Amino acid sequence: MIEGSNKIQVFEPHRSSLPPLKPYISEFWRRREFATELSKFSDKAEYLESKLGKVWLVLNPLFLAVIYYLLVTIIQGRSTQTNSFTILCHILIGLFTFYFAQNCILLGAQSITSGGRLILNQAFPRSLLPLSSAISAARQFLPTLPVYILIVLIGKLVFNDEALPGLTWNYLLIPFIFILLALTSFGLSLLFATMNVYFRDTTKLLSYIMRIWLYASPVLWQPDMLTGWYRIILYLNPLGPILSANSRIWIDGLTPTAPQLLACSFWAFGSILLGGYFFISRERDFAIHI
Amino acid sequence: MQSTSNQKFVLPENLAIRIENLSISYKINVESKKTLKNALMRASRGERIRTRTVEAVKNLTLDIAHGSVVGIVGANGAGKSTLMRSIAGILPPTTGRIAVNGRISTLLALGVGFNQALSGRDNIILGGLAAGMSRAEIDSQTDAIAQFADLPEGFIDMPVRTYSNGMYSRVAFSVAVNMTPDILLLDEALSAGDAAFKEKSFNRMRQLCAEARTILIVSHALSSVNELCDQAIWLHKGQMLASGKPEDITEQYLKFLNVGKLPSSYEDL
Repeated sequence: MIEGSNKIQVFEPHRSSLPPLKPYISEFWRRREFATELSKFSDKAEYLESKLGKVWLVLNPLFLAVIYYLLVTIIQGRSTQTNSFTILCHILIGLFTFYFAQNCILLGAQSITSGGRLILNQAFPRSLLPLSSAISAARQFLPTLPVYILIVLIGKLVFNDEALPGLTWNYLLIPFIFILLALTSFGLSLLFATMNVYFRDTTKLLSYIMRIWLYASPVLWQPDMLTGWYRIILYLNPLGPILSANSRIWIDGLTPTAPQLLACSFWAFGSILLGGYFFISRERDFAIHI
Repeated sequence: MQSTSNQKFVLPENLAIRIENLSISYKINVESKKTLKNALMRASRGERIRTRTVEAVKNLTLDIAHGSVVGIVGANGAGKSTLMRSIAGILPPTTGRIAVNGRISTLLALGVGFNQALSGRDNIILGGLAAGMSRAEIDSQTDAIAQFADLPEGFIDMPVRTYSNGMYSRVAFSVAVNMTPDILLLDEALSAGDAAFKEKSFNRMRQLCAEARTILIVSHALSSVNELCDQAIWLHKGQMLASGKPEDITEQYLKFLNVGKLPSSYEDL
């Protein structure tokens, strides 16, 4: 008799809304290589036949940032040259960061329905598919950071801009803020990926939601523009506190405020817990609904 | 893994799979389009979603020993694919239990994980990773898998979209049978490639059996079931009507279908 060996798998009806989490997480971790390689291969396939290839990943948000900058300066009226450059930098870093969240959510939301044949053929933790999308979004985001830094350096030399900070220890907080942003975006992608299995127009709707979300986030406007009770808008938006904290570090060179950090952590852990529960409790039925 | 129980479970040493009182039913949406818009429209009219319950597998009990090759026959909608998916841990049982002893490799839908823009070699890596192999394991077997697929020279490094259907199926089949699985689940995968490749596939499956690995084959090609399997089961509308020697089962199935014993009857029914 083989007793309780690791090789024996027992499949039984659902007894609770969640599968046993310890084996689920250990299987998720064991197969993480599948998510990273799937992301690499998906990116390779996507840009295989494009002449500019991955350069578009930087050019696209860069062009958009310039367009938004022109719109914002036209709407706001005349401003000084150095002030204009600071606004451009705020829009640039805000847009690059928002694009990470947008790509993570949009790609993740489609990952289950577009991976239908894989889901019908293999048993694996389904959350690896949105994870693969999140990795792709991060791979698209990272090259934009050196571009941003280069633009800031050129701008400081040309405009002799004192408004933007030089090197500061506060930059060490950027990876921490990025982790919170990644958790928030991944959690939301799990939520929308599940919704998309049951309602196939979710991703269509999501593309409009993301556009409105961009305008409602402190990307084209500065967080300081909201005063009094209006500041609640900033905290009700899951990306609001993170984008504010991000801008405060990159543009002002300051540590994020305590309410910003609290709100960032609340949304990050809230999203991952809510999205994770919603996704994992339903993923065993995905093969039926695909 | 889906629906995996973490409790200790005892399985006789000679068994690869034990299925106890397995029933699988699920609700399918009768609505033509599953959209948020339709759901909101329905809610505004106070209507409930229209669903139909499908009983795909009904009270099935079966033991499969290590080293056996089991053929599963039955008409369309008999529950064959649902049964295979539940053994693979893809579809959860509604009642009953499935215990599986060993690493499972599946080929339940051809070309799974395959990206048309990528080369055959890249797709072998993706297919292996999807099946649970590590990158190092796959790297050590990529050449053997490519060699087994026996594609024309240079094709393995060309995009899969340039492949013929046969070449595409051969790569998928090669990944599934070359992963040294303990249990191999094949659903309508025996028709991959030409006669020479079919012979090669059969030899590989015989080799797997000789190594005490277990194979479950869903096929409408009854001659292949007779040739390869040492046991067969006949499913009809979710119920197991018969099990036994492949020749006896396929004969009963043919009688049931009322198509006679013509050579064509043994292929793709």
